Amino acid sequence: MGVFIQGIGNISLQNTFEQIGFPEPVWYNESYVRCIDPDFKNFISPIEARRMSKVIKRAIATAKSSIAESGIEMPDAIISGTGLGSIDDTEKFLSAMIDNNEKFLQPTFFIQSTHNTISSQIAINLKCHGHNNTFVHGGISFECALTEAMLLFAGNRIETALVGGYDEMTPAYFKLLNKINTSGSLAGEGSVSVMLSSRKNEKTYAAIEAIEVLYQPENIETSIEAFLDRNGKKAADMDIVVLGINGDAQGDLIYKTIAANLFGQKAHAWYKHLSGEYFTSAGFGFWLAANCIKHRQVPPFVALNSNSAGKLQNLLLFNHYRNKNFSLILFSAC
Amino acid sequence: MAGQVLVTGLGIVSGIGISVQDTLASLLAGKSGVGIIKYLQTNHKDIPCSEIQLSDEQMCRMLSIPDSVPINRTSLMGILAAKNALADANITPNRALRIGFISSTTVGGMEKSEQFYKDFLENDTRNEYIKIHDCGACTEIIADYFGGFSFVSTISTACSSSANAIALGSNLIKQGILDCVVAGGTECLTKFHLNGFKTLMILDRAHCRPFDATRAGLNLGEGAAYLVLESDENVQARNAKALCKVAGYGNACDCYHQTASSPDGKGATLAMQYALDMSGLKPSDIDYINAHGTGTTNNDESEGVAIMNVFGNSIPPVSSTKAYTGHTTSAAGSVEAVISILAMQEGFLPANLNFKNQMAKLSFTPVRELRRNLKITHVLSNSFGFGGNNTAIIFSKIQ
Amino acid sequence: MEALILELKKEIIKVLNLEGVKPEDIDNDMPLFGEGLGLDSIDALELIVLLEKNYGIKLDDPGKGREIFGSINIFAKYISENQRK
Repeated sequence: MGVFIQGIGNISLQNTFEQIGFPEPVWYNESYVRCIDPDFKNFISPIEARRMSKVIKRAIATAKSSIAESGIEMPDAIISGTGLGSIDDTEKFLSAMIDNNEKFLQPTFFIQSTHNTISSQIAINLKCHGHNNTFVHGGISFECALTEAMLLFAGNRIETALVGGYDEMTPAYFKLLNKINTSGSLAGEGSVSVMLSSRKNEKTYAAIEAIEVLYQPENIETSIEAFLDRNGKKAADMDIVVLGINGDAQGDLIYKTIAANLFGQKAHAWYKHLSGEYFTSAGFGFWLAANCIKHRQVPPFVALNSNSAGKLQNLLLFNHYRNKNFSLILFSAC
Repeated sequence: MAGQVLVTGLGIVSGIGISVQDTLASLLAGKSGVGIIKYLQTNHKDIPCSEIQLSDEQMCRMLSIPDSVPINRTSLMGILAAKNALADANITPNRALRIGFISSTTVGGMEKSEQFYKDFLENDTRNEYIKIHDCGACTEIIADYFGGFSFVSTISTACSSSANAIALGSNLIKQGILDCVVAGGTECLTKFHLNGFKTLMILDRAHCRPFDATRAGLNLGEGAAYLVLESDENVQARNAKALCKVAGYGNACDCYHQTASSPDGKGATLAMQYALDMSGLKPSDIDYINAHGTGTTNNDESEGVAIMNVFGNSIPPVSSTKAYTGHTTSAAGSVEAVISILAMQEGFLPANLNFKNQMAKLSFTPVRELRRNLKITHVLSNSFGFGGNNTAIIFSKIQ
Repeated sequence: MEALILELKKEIIKVLNLEGVKPEDIDNDMPLFGEGLGLDSIDALELIVLLEKNYGIKLDDPGKGREIFGSINIFAKYISENQRK
């Protein structure tokens, strides 16, 4: 049973917000870059926006944009994924707490720092009483949110859902990341909101056939084949595989191995050179996958090889986090 | 698609005990874990809280974790509770069994990060703790202690987090994705959220009194609890003993305010109604409600109104157990799920401690004294989080 | 009192992040909560912190906040009568 992508909002390091198709890429020389933000006044009143850090403003803007695009009035569920929530507010509260010895602390920063504030503020903004949840499992938080949405669709508990992946990169966190990162990847941030429906129409980007999130699989190659098989497909049926390659040599090895072993003759693409790497960067990959199918093209600046993507009927999005958490999302054209 | 979702194991650590047996004994004795802060290094030790009566070092020794391994209190508590749950269910996670681990937390590794934040920024002495700050990393420390899980995830919806973990685990089993899920949550006390709640001015400087007309706020607590959930096929196949079933659950958003619940209790009402709908039960079938009952002026009124909305003239016995364990925030859903199941199994109603004065707006009075030797078949457990994340779960005896 | 009133307005604008609002936009008798400036319960908590941090006045009962923060004039009068710093 497919679930259909009816609208996407994407704020990223690229000019992706409310653009049709693929914007011309922006290439960066710096290692710390922030999103290209829209004018948030178009989405959030000043009295609401005054408390919001960037991650929350972006979440609301992309949520509203994806809902408007879908033409669906109200989602039945709002499910978010975020690695760190509003790290900006967390830092403000934490620093003040340490500097002032636990005195004169401001409640706003604490309230905004809780991870579920994103999903909940979207709901308050939309007045949505539906199912509301937040996943905070590091580099597959977005995929976990999507997994729950798919479960609810499969159980006929919902007909529509807003699913998102939201993270921000503050200067202080960038500094900490550099201390623990192995090397090679561009640090990024972003906000992707996706409107899903059990029904398709002329607005549909693509169908999501299935998603699987795996923890430390014994053999990822076997797991991928089993996943495809469970969904009536084989590796040979894929037209293109979109990989979460991020420039980190150790982490990228598995992508290259899988691409060569299972999808050697197929088109390969990547996206983290555009989005940067962050906990919910798979959201950007999702946006790319959906747009490739919708517009029937793979832009040259994401292609990793020159193999044709054929009819762009079947696409596999493959991501992993620290070689422990893996996600597979199977898309198809409709 | 699998049929029922059965509960085959319970594990809990909190201020009222580090085992199911100790927890039960405390509930039956009316013994609270709320008191002066002993372990957390804070300038606000005078704020009554409920702490697990173990230091990090003691927990490491109990779990045979060497001092050299970077770990935090949230994860240690989680390992203890999960270990007990798995032992209770007589299950060893392994890849042949399709078993998942769904934990919840909001603080994650903050208990160490708040101690080492200056070091994080200014030197390289504590970098290993940067890696284990985020919520997912803490969950993986717990999962990796056991090994064998094929699906691992983390939820954070404030005070309803671990209830949502139980709901997700149940969905994964019902949809045939997994055969078994260890679901729940863990939250240790931190200066971060102690100070955070203090700024919201909802902490009682005395022992909290849920549903009392003079209530003045909540007491924070730390805790970890997990349920082992299984498909009935798996239970039958390994001839296991099931404690009860997950009869129904509901998740609804209040969407009223970031830190306050609506006066008409809309979100809470919907969550309880959805749980009843899924279970196929009538309100009059519920034998006991373990309320969210934090002791704040706002929650208890909102939740009370919601209970009246759903149960009308047949309101079952209601009590909050937060005056025993404190408000264990992200772990509250699973801590109170364990307490609800114990109440059902052992046939007792935990007293709602410190209640003296009836709230004028409510048509019910909470359970004032422990009641024993009762037949309890269906219990409803409420967990309502900041931001309006409301979840209700019904557990039923298997008949 | 005038100096206190101006200082108070500037502090309120800063702490509550009222972008685009200038001291002259806030009328001294205008309700701060509900209508008027449209502040809410989170803002009330922030003002309680401001009261203690800047003026040494500790408010233990958040319920009192709504009275004291009724308008700039009421707020300034309360501070001048209770200030400890």
